[in-house]
Amino acid sequence: MTERVFSIAKSVLAVAVLLSLASAGGVLGYLRQPRELRFEPPVAADLDWFRLMSNGIGGTPPESYFALGKPYEADAYNLSQGKRLYAWFGCGTCHGDGRGGVGPSFLDGWWLYGPEMVSIVASIRDGRPHGMPAFRDRLTIEQIWQLAGYVQTIGSYSPKVAAPSRNDDKQTRPAENRGPAIILFDEGPVGVHPDQGPSP
Amino acid sequence: MTSRNAGALRDTAFDAAEIDRRLAAIWSTTPGVWGALATVDHKVIGRRYITTAFVFLALGGLLSLLMRLQLAQPEARFIGPDRYNQLFTMHGTNMMFLFAVPVMQAMAVYLVPLMVGTRNIAFPRLNAFSYWMYLAGGLLLWIAFVLDTGPDVGWFAYVPLSGPQYAAGKRADIWAQMITFTEVSALAVAVEIVVTVFKHRAPGMSLDRIPLFVWSMLVTSFVVILAMPAIMVASTALILDRLVETHFFNPAEGGDVLLWQHLFWFFGHPEVYIIFLPAVGMVSTIVATFTRRPVFGYLAMVMALIATGILAFGLWVHHMFVAGLPRLGESFFTASSMAIAVPAGLQIFCWLATIWAGRPIFTTPFLFAIGFIVTFVIGGLTGVMVASVPFDTQVHDTYFVVAHFHYVLVGGAVFPLLGALYYWFPKLTGRLMSETRGRWVFGLIFVGFNLTFFPMHILGLQGMPRRIYTYQPEMPWSGLNMFISLSAVILAGGFLLFFIDVIRSARTGAVASSNPWEASTLEWATSSPPPPYNFARLPVVGGLDPLSDRRDVLPVAAGLRVDRRELLVSSIVEATPEAREASSGDSIWPLLAAIATTATLIWSIFTPWAVVWGSIPIAIALIGWFWPKGVPEDES
Repeated sequence: MTERVFSIAKSVLAVAVLLSLASAGGVLGYLRQPRELRFEPPVAADLDWFRLMSNGIGGTPPESYFALGKPYEADAYNLSQGKRLYAWFGCGTCHGDGRGGVGPSFLDGWWLYGPEMVSIVASIRDGRPHGMPAFRDRLTIEQIWQLAGYVQTIGSYSPKVAAPSRNDDKQTRPAENRGPAIILFDEGPVGVHPDQGPSP
Repeated sequence: MTSRNAGALRDTAFDAAEIDRRLAAIWSTTPGVWGALATVDHKVIGRRYITTAFVFLALGGLLSLLMRLQLAQPEARFIGPDRYNQLFTMHGTNMMFLFAVPVMQAMAVYLVPLMVGTRNIAFPRLNAFSYWMYLAGGLLLWIAFVLDTGPDVGWFAYVPLSGPQYAAGKRADIWAQMITFTEVSALAVAVEIVVTVFKHRAPGMSLDRIPLFVWSMLVTSFVVILAMPAIMVASTALILDRLVETHFFNPAEGGDVLLWQHLFWFFGHPEVYIIFLPAVGMVSTIVATFTRRPVFGYLAMVMALIATGILAFGLWVHHMFVAGLPRLGESFFTASSMAIAVPAGLQIFCWLATIWAGRPIFTTPFLFAIGFIVTFVIGGLTGVMVASVPFDTQVHDTYFVVAHFHYVLVGGAVFPLLGALYYWFPKLTGRLMSETRGRWVFGLIFVGFNLTFFPMHILGLQGMPRRIYTYQPEMPWSGLNMFISLSAVILAGGFLLFFIDVIRSARTGAVASSNPWEASTLEWATSSPPPPYNFARLPVVGGLDPLSDRRDVLPVAAGLRVDRRELLVSSIVEATPEAREASSGDSIWPLLAAIATTATLIWSIFTPWAVVWGSIPIAIALIGWFWPKGVPEDES
């Protein structure tokens, strides 16, 4: 009798494992999937109302951003849209493939205004001193958030699960899902950053 | 015999009742859940396979109804574009990879060992493994879809759309990995079928006495073995491109986008024949039984099967006519596409000659066979039309193509399959399906099908593209679309009645005798449903129709052991007995191996390290599976 109970328990376990494996795959996929193609206009407009510290570094996103589940940092669709915007709006002309050029690099571990989403969104929307133009008239606020999420993804030290993969282009650096910032980060002596600007 | 075996118990020592008792003790599946998970009985696994495949058919049918609901009116708001993309991708993927191919192989898993007169399929544990892999792949796809992560790149997932740049997230990876699951299971079954047919045939069943269904499954299995590796290579290359930045399909780094199309269709076109050839075998069996005579032109039928199997590999490029290929290539593949109409036509005429010369009995299976001939000929005619480059260029990616392939796939495979289910249902369950309901089912499905899909030809010629989630009211398509959607309700009603009939007949149908149709092939020589050991004594075959040649007596072979699972190994051509061989017993290891493989495959969507770490549990499971049993090897 105990043997029979034992064997039933084993079988239930086996089926449970099979089911949970399959659903784990689905759930993990889902974590980076939900695809909100277009927010309600008031929700989208609210994305503009984040608050920034007085020195322009760091701040608080709008409450609604948390209610939405922080879609622009961990969502595959938004990140890949951000990657497209990065190409379409010529970000690469100054920032290269993320390693910088005329503009600062995103992969060297140094964020001039901090790595927070609101800082990056503010940089793109309002521009920054020493050459960063404002894009508020060229991109909608949703697109700016998408682009900011992507920029944060390039420079992140643990590659996000939802990070996009390579493009069908010449390969110049590892793709975002391979964690280029870990691979390419130069630990060597960090020079002064004269390009920081006066404040900071 | 050697002295080592002198003490072994042979069936010559006992009377019939005692043999049954001892064989049942040694071959039966242990009752309970554990026994159900460990079983390697080809009949249990075959039934499971068939049931699962029909569940997927029902689910895929529901998806098509959702699409028809959306397309019934212009500018409908029922389903958004993103969901619609998932719907048509899931419908195609589900029907091709989770229904059509597995269900045909499942019928073979159940029937081929019975039809060649053996006690179990070759490599029974591999058979159990293949079912669990298939189930896991199906669950992966459907659970992902329910969670809004279903693939959305079309069932043939062309790059660059499905590549790393344009298919965000894991949707395309889930599609590609589901391919790996189903192809592993399909390849496993194909190998088992080939070995069963070549080495486990009943004594005397020489190559020219093999039933046509078995021939068709043999050819199909070879096509599977040759075609499926192409898609596994392709889908693996796609996952590598997406996950670890290989450049198989990246033209900027020397890859080739067209490579995907070649690899896919090198599998994808034979796939059509993987689905169609078993149906040919089913129709041949049904026609022979219900015209009360052997199929006209056995040799011609077999040659046509083999010719189709070979030609299937020579025409994949006709799916790529608009991809911009060299003129010579297009001409060659136009010619080869038309050439395959020759063996198909030969088969049609052989069936017509059989019906002409016989005394047809119009039962439900036979009606489905007739429905198959009519529908498939229409699909074949439009096939010859789209085989010509200028015509194909005009209708490519329109509803004309949708109509064409539903005519050949539903007409060419689903009709015979439903007929085959009505025909073999007594052998599967021991009960007959309802003839009255069966006629209604046939009528509703045949009429509903033609009303649904014939107008799609016209829609296609009017320019309606496939895979659009809605269309504007200015387009001249809305009337026909509404008509199609309403007709789809008739078709769905037919299938609903079919499923009701299956469930009710399985519970309360008339109890079937061992040979209710007075058919002539070996599966009808044993009881309905067969005992776990299939045949108490293995039959000896003296002709093409072993049961009709000498209906009163069927010669049998004696001398097999009754104290272990034992079956006969016979020679390929003449099927003379060569050895007695042990058949493996129940084991849980196939399920554990399938679980380990499932974990690795799903994990590897997310990180390449899964292949490294996942290989450890797989290795453990395989070691357990192949652990030496301490019994001597088989004796000749």
